Amino acid sequence: MEKEFLETIHENQNIIYKVCRMYRDSKEDQEDLFQEIVYQLWKSYPSFRGESKVSSWIYRIALNVSIAVYRKEKPIIDNYEDFPENIHPLEESPESENEERLFSALRILNNAEKALISLYLEDFNYKEIAEITGLSESNVGVKLNRIKSKLKILINK
Amino acid sequence: MELTELKSAWQNVNSSVKSETELQKMTKIANHPSLKKIRTKLIAELIGLTLFSLVYYDWFDGDQKSLYVNLLLVISLMLYILNDVIGYISIVKPIAANNLKISIQNYLARIKRLSIFSLIISFLYGFSLIAFFTSAIDFTSEKQLVLVGIIFFLLSMIYFSFRLWTKWIKSLSKQIKEFSIDNEK
Repeated sequence: MEKEFLETIHENQNIIYKVCRMYRDSKEDQEDLFQEIVYQLWKSYPSFRGESKVSSWIYRIALNVSIAVYRKEKPIIDNYEDFPENIHPLEESPESENEERLFSALRILNNAEKALISLYLEDFNYKEIAEITGLSESNVGVKLNRIKSKLKILINK
Repeated sequence: MELTELKSAWQNVNSSVKSETELQKMTKIANHPSLKKIRTKLIAELIGLTLFSLVYYDWFDGDQKSLYVNLLLVISLMLYILNDVIGYISIVKPIAANNLKISIQNYLARIKRLSIFSLIISFLYGFSLIAFFTSAIDFTSEKQLVLVGIIFFLLSMIYFSFRLWTKWIKSLSKQIKEFSIDNEK
């Protein structure tokens, strides 16, 4: 079972990496969260019976851990209008620049918004997002529309 | 950047690849960033409290104290150890229900339960220690002062513990609220 688990996580570790980068600012915190998520995935693996997609399961646990684990609150910018304009660091390639812009903007969102938009960006449909988050499909739609507008403003500022 | 570009950027994020050996290490508590410390603290407390429960009667004149304070001390010690173990098991337990909202709600309920038991048992344990050590003692004004100091220290510890629990509970309640559609303007 352990070998199968490790292969699954190895193939899908990109998901965990993205969730950690979205929910934590520093490299050290991201690394700690990564370990926490892998540990929780391992603990819940026996109950994963393959009824849902592997990626849904990993997202569910990863988002859960990121949201529930207690850490000291850092100042939150509530009003995204006040978000500093110079969030785009100098990067060598356009891909990494886009990536950095995306993560800088994502970190401004609240935890529920982060969860919803990451599932949307991963290409889950509304039904799947509703199943993972526990919201109704219509609520997912309403919330996502608001988050997409908010994200667009943040990214293009 | 348009939404399609955002999706593409998200789906093509480059991550540093961890080997299966590295991942396997992460499945062990010994390598866990916080559980490792909690486990070490738990083991140290268990050893300390067990040793204390074995020697307190002889070392601290248990035979000269009333049966009630002896009983109170032993029961509160056992409850303290039990609460420590249950708390550890609860934190190690996976926090995964069928969906995020229910998971966080369940986790919040678990943390609330733990906080209540933990605070009550800590208070009881502190109270029983004071009751034991002050039983059958002739109080002078200095001793009374020391007792007031100990009570103040105990209450401060419980207050700081209460604040920590409250912060955690508030943080989880906030997460649940964020998932609600009604909290948005």
